[in-house]
Parts: sequence; C-alpha cells; structure tokens
Amino acid sequence: MPAVETHNLTKRYGDVVALDGLDLSVKRGELYGLLGPNGSGKTTTIELLTGQRTPTSGSLSVLDMDPVSDPIAVRESVGILPEREDPPSFLTPREYLEFVGEIRGLDNLESRTDEWARKLQFQGILDTLSSDLSEGERQRVMLAQVFIHEPQLVFIDEPLVNLDPLMQAEVKTQLRDYCADGNTLFLSTHFMAVAEELCTTVGIIAGGQLVAERDPRELSKGLLETFAREVQLGSERDDELMDQPKTGDRLEEASTR
Amino acid sequence: MSSLLVFRRMLVEEYRMHTELFGRGRFVGFPLFTAALVAGGVWLLEATGTNLESIIAGLFVLVFLFGLQVGTIGLIGRDAMRNVLGDVTLLVFSGRTLPISRRKLLATFLLKDLVYYIGLFLTPIALGFLPLVTTGDMSLSTVGVLWIALSATFAFGAGTSLALAGIATRNVGAIVALIVILVGVLVAAPDVLVALSPYGLYANPGIESAVASIVGVVTVLIAGPLLFEPPTSGGVRRIESRRFNHLADRGGVFFARSLLEVTRSSGSVWKVIFSLGILFAVAALVLERVVAATALEPSAGIAFGTLLGLGAFTTYNWVTQLNETREYLRYPVSYSTVFAGKFRAFLTLSLPTGVGYLALAGIWYPRLELLLGVLIFPLVSIYVFGVTAYLTGLSPNELLFNTPLFALYGAALAVVAVPLLVAALAFGEFPRYSVGFAVVFSVLTAAVGAFFIRKSGPRWSRRLR
Repeated sequence: MPAVETHNLTKRYGDVVALDGLDLSVKRGELYGLLGPNGSGKTTTIELLTGQRTPTSGSLSVLDMDPVSDPIAVRESVGILPEREDPPSFLTPREYLEFVGEIRGLDNLESRTDEWARKLQFQGILDTLSSDLSEGERQRVMLAQVFIHEPQLVFIDEPLVNLDPLMQAEVKTQLRDYCADGNTLFLSTHFMAVAEELCTTVGIIAGGQLVAERDPRELSKGLLETFAREVQLGSERDDELMDQPKTGDRLEEASTR
Repeated sequence: MSSLLVFRRMLVEEYRMHTELFGRGRFVGFPLFTAALVAGGVWLLEATGTNLESIIAGLFVLVFLFGLQVGTIGLIGRDAMRNVLGDVTLLVFSGRTLPISRRKLLATFLLKDLVYYIGLFLTPIALGFLPLVTTGDMSLSTVGVLWIALSATFAFGAGTSLALAGIATRNVGAIVALIVILVGVLVAAPDVLVALSPYGLYANPGIESAVASIVGVVTVLIAGPLLFEPPTSGGVRRIESRRFNHLADRGGVFFARSLLEVTRSSGSVWKVIFSLGILFAVAALVLERVVAATALEPSAGIAFGTLLGLGAFTTYNWVTQLNETREYLRYPVSYSTVFAGKFRAFLTLSLPTGVGYLALAGIWYPRLELLLGVLIFPLVSIYVFGVTAYLTGLSPNELLFNTPLFALYGAALAVVAVPLLVAALAFGEFPRYSVGFAVVFSVLTAAVGAFFIRKSGPRWSRRLR
C-alpha cells in the first residue's frame, strides 16, 4: 500500500476551488516533492492529508488510515512542519520539545531532545526563550519537533527556509538518512534546486490538479523549464487538456517538445 | 513621501484588517449596534435608578482605557499580533524601508487611530444618547459636547499610553515615580485631574475647561510619538528552571504552557490583576451609587461575586491571547484536551485574583456577606469560561467587531447577570430568598458552563477543519 493516496480529492473554500480532483500516490520510502506556484493547492493538500481540514469530496488515505474519520491517529504517526511556523514565543526549545513529546506520549524525552539538538546543532540555545532566537534557530527547533517521535511519514513545507548553507547541507543529509531507513518524506517547496537535489519523485501542481509527476533525474530538460511549462499549461488548460492523461504522459510530452 | 498619502493608506489598512478578521457585513454593522447598545444600556441603567451623570462618568473612564489600549496595541504587542493575525506587517513598522522618519510614521499612525475610532466607535456612542434628547433629559448641544469630550478622552488615552511606554523604556524609576505622583494627586485632589482632563470639558463646559483639555490632549499627542521608542530586545533570556515540567505534572502541558505564556509575556500576571481590578472598581462604583441613589440595601457578596465572575472574560482573553488557533490541529490531541488545560490555567489565575478583590471589598462591606461572593464568583466564572470558549474558541478578540457574535455573547452574559443582580438588589427586602436564589442559580449557571466547556472541543474541532 502507498504511504499517501488520494482519489479525485477536491476542496472548496466558498467559491474558490483550492483542489480540483487531485489524484496522488506516494510510495513508502519515497522522498516526494510537491512543486507549484503560490495558490496552487500545496498547503491545502498537506492540511487535508494530515486531517487539519476535511475535503469537499474525494477520498484519501495516509499510512492506511483515513485522515477524515481519524485525524488524531494520523497525526500520531506523522510529523508535520507547516510553512513559517515558529515555536511558541514564551517557551524555550527544551520546553517546547517537552510539550510536543508529552502530547505524543514519548518516553526518554530528555535524551531525545538532546539527540535532536545535537543533530541540528542547537544545544547552545535549548534554554533560550524562543522569542529571542533567530529565524534559522527557530526553524531548526521546528524540524526537531517533526522528527522527535520517529514518525514513518513526514510532511514539511519548505524544509530549508532560513537555514545557512552549512545547516542546509546538514538537514539534507538528515532527510536522506531518514528516507534511507524506509520512511517517507512529503515536502512542499518553491525551490527547484531543493526538489531536484533531494526528491526521488517530483509532482507539479497547478490550479489544484497534479499536472506532472516524474523522477527529476530522468528529465531530459531542467526541472525549472519543465515546471514553467507545466504551470503555464495548467493555468491555460482547457477541455482538451482536461481529457488528457494527467501525470507522466503530459510531462513526457512537455519535456520532448 | 506625502504624510497624507501614508495616512490614507493606513486608514485603508486598518479597515481591511478588520473586515478581513470579522467579515465586511458584520464589521460595518458594528457602529449601528454600538449606538443601539449604548441607548439600551443608558435606558436600562436609568430604569434601575442610576444617575445619568454617573453613567457618563463611567463611560469616560471606559473610553480613556480603550484609548490607552488602542494607542499601543499595534506597537508593543507585535508578538501577540503575529500569533493572532498570522504574518502581519503594518505600515507603521516600515520606518526602515520608506523614506519617512519613524516619528512621523508614528504620529500619522496615531492620527489615523483617532480618526478611525472616533468615526466608527465614539460617534456611535454619542449617538446612543440621542433618545435622551427626544425625552428632554439631554439637550442636543450637550450631546455635541459629549461627543467632543469623549473623542478628546480617547485621544488623551492613546497619547498617554505612548508617552508612558516611551518613559518606561528610558527609565523605569521615572515611570514608577510618575505613577505614584498621579495616584497621589488622584487621591488627594481628584478635582485637579478632572479639571485638566477632557472630562472637565463635559462636566464644566467653558473657555477654561476647553483650554485645559486642549492643552492636555495636545501635550500627550505630541509627547507620545516623541518619547516612544519601539521595544528592543532586552538581550537573550535564558530559562533553566524546571517550571514547565512542574506545572505540566500538576495540570498537563496545555495548562503549563498557558500559565508560562501569561507570566512571561509583557505585564506578567499584573495584567490579569489590573484588568479584573477595573471590573472591581466599576462594580464598587455602581454599588456605591445604587446605595446612595436608592433606598435599597443590595448584597455586596452577590453583586461583587457576579460582576467579578462576569469580568473573568478578561482572564480568558489573557490565557488565549498568544495562541494561533489552528496550531493545535497539528498535534495528535483533541480540542477538548486543549480547552481543559486552558480551563485549569484560567481558574488558577482568576480565582485568587477574584477572591483577593473580595477580600479587599471586606474593608468597606460586611465580611460575612462577602463570603457569598466567594461562592458565587467561581461558579459564574465557570459559566463565563464555558460560554466564551463555546462562542469564540481560542479567538475571543473576534468579539470586538463581530456584531452578531457580540450581541449573542452579551445576551448570554445578561441571562446570568440580570437575575443575579436583581437578587442582589432584593437582598434588603428578602434576604433569605435572595441568598437562596443566588446560590441555586449560580450552581445551575456553573452546570451550564460545564456543559458548554464539554461541547467546545468538538465544536471548534469541526469548525476549524
């Protein structure tokens, strides 16, 4: 069974269609990157998959669980890092990780905290109030809370934002190691280089639909060019395009034109 | 860059922020609702024998406090703002990118606040007094003077908060000395402060009072932007105590986090004590006026217990102010657990504060009678927590300009306030019935509150998803 699967997933906010029949399948152990322009439905996709929102229609499953009927079970098994989320201003990183750990019912919290602080190099600020941390330090703390319970599947929106180049390299290594152990990573990003370098599969989303999906290393043209072409196609799609197969075939067609 | 352009953009920014938060229809209806609420409130208070001048004096106090709050909310509470509104960047914060000085931006921001709130809030309040013109209790010119004096009071409050914050960032000793002097003058010669404030213009209209209030308002409006310095980081704060663990062991992680957020943010627990203190002062003033103006002998215990309990909504505001509502949807935890932790934090903060004020009331009122307040206050507080959690979730600020929600919330509080205050007023005539009714009614009220607390978790979980 795939780690993540959606069929005809649709989400409307009033008159606005955020997701329009999204079909998605992410294999276990995959490092999946969802690329798309602003407002294309990336955040909504992650919110639906983690049970933070309920879909208007369609079906979805995450680690063989239904995020609609059992969102808490899904959240127990996954790690989530939304875009631009900071640790609470008036807790220290140590207190915040204890807060998250207690909610998740973890044992050996102290050693887990120390381990992740060491891996992400923030031992020196464990007892500093979060409001006094730099953006990069806050991002490292948020990454630690994603992994502290050793989840099988992780959803991250922009994993490398605000990190310096050395820390970016360190986090990339951590993410690869995490997937090498058989876990699944689902990340959403605007950065082509991140997707190209890290992901084993990249999905391009535009207008609430998956318009292309491929292993970035197999692309005959660069990912940036493919992305631009597919997004343009997505925004200009008409009935004829809607009738075409949605995933690999269209990317193939686009990349060989 | 033209200050007029910045001023207009700031007005649009403020309007968009409020309509985004509360919805355009609900927000636009708020001035009408305010006028109706004031008209109804004045009528009700007059019907219960409260003197019109006392009502207006209380109104001036509230408008001054509102001015104090508005003057600094966008400047000092940026952390709180980001947590409540998400990523918000206001024009007033753009001093480093626009070719306009920070002081000029601040003065424009202050002017925008005055125009905006006078138009949308203070004018409707003054219009709420128009029915008294038709009944002959007030002249149209008096309503006009009231409008001018209330607007000046609001400006006085906004400018004062900026000036005080400016002095505080420069010298804590100076701010303490200034507050001691102000309190000293207030106690020793209250008439002097009244004469120098815009309230003097309303109480004794004339050239002297007009000049005095204009000088006072203009002084603080100039001094505020000149003195104010944006808060800079006071260095890196390290906390190596195990307070979080100790609190979490006692009441869970949501309890621990809520308490630490209140105690470590600006104002610490003093903001809880101060805001409930305002309610206590208003309750004492109303009670004193009722005793002076009528032949009734109200029960201080029932009255204080009820009014302080209702005032506990301010504590609810403090325990939720730093929360981004959707954050809890990302943890494997139900909203019921979150509300349970908030409830424990709410009781931990509000109960000792309320009981402290009841003990303070013991200086002036029969202590045995106030014991009734010690019973009623927590029961009413439970109701207030339940209703606030159920109606507003973790965003009680939404009440501010959401007209239907505000009306519903007001009605929910009135359902409890009116019977209990009537019981308090009837105490002199029917002491046993009054006490019996108040106790039984408060217990039922708490039960209803507990019901709402239980329903709040599932309701907000559904609504937010």
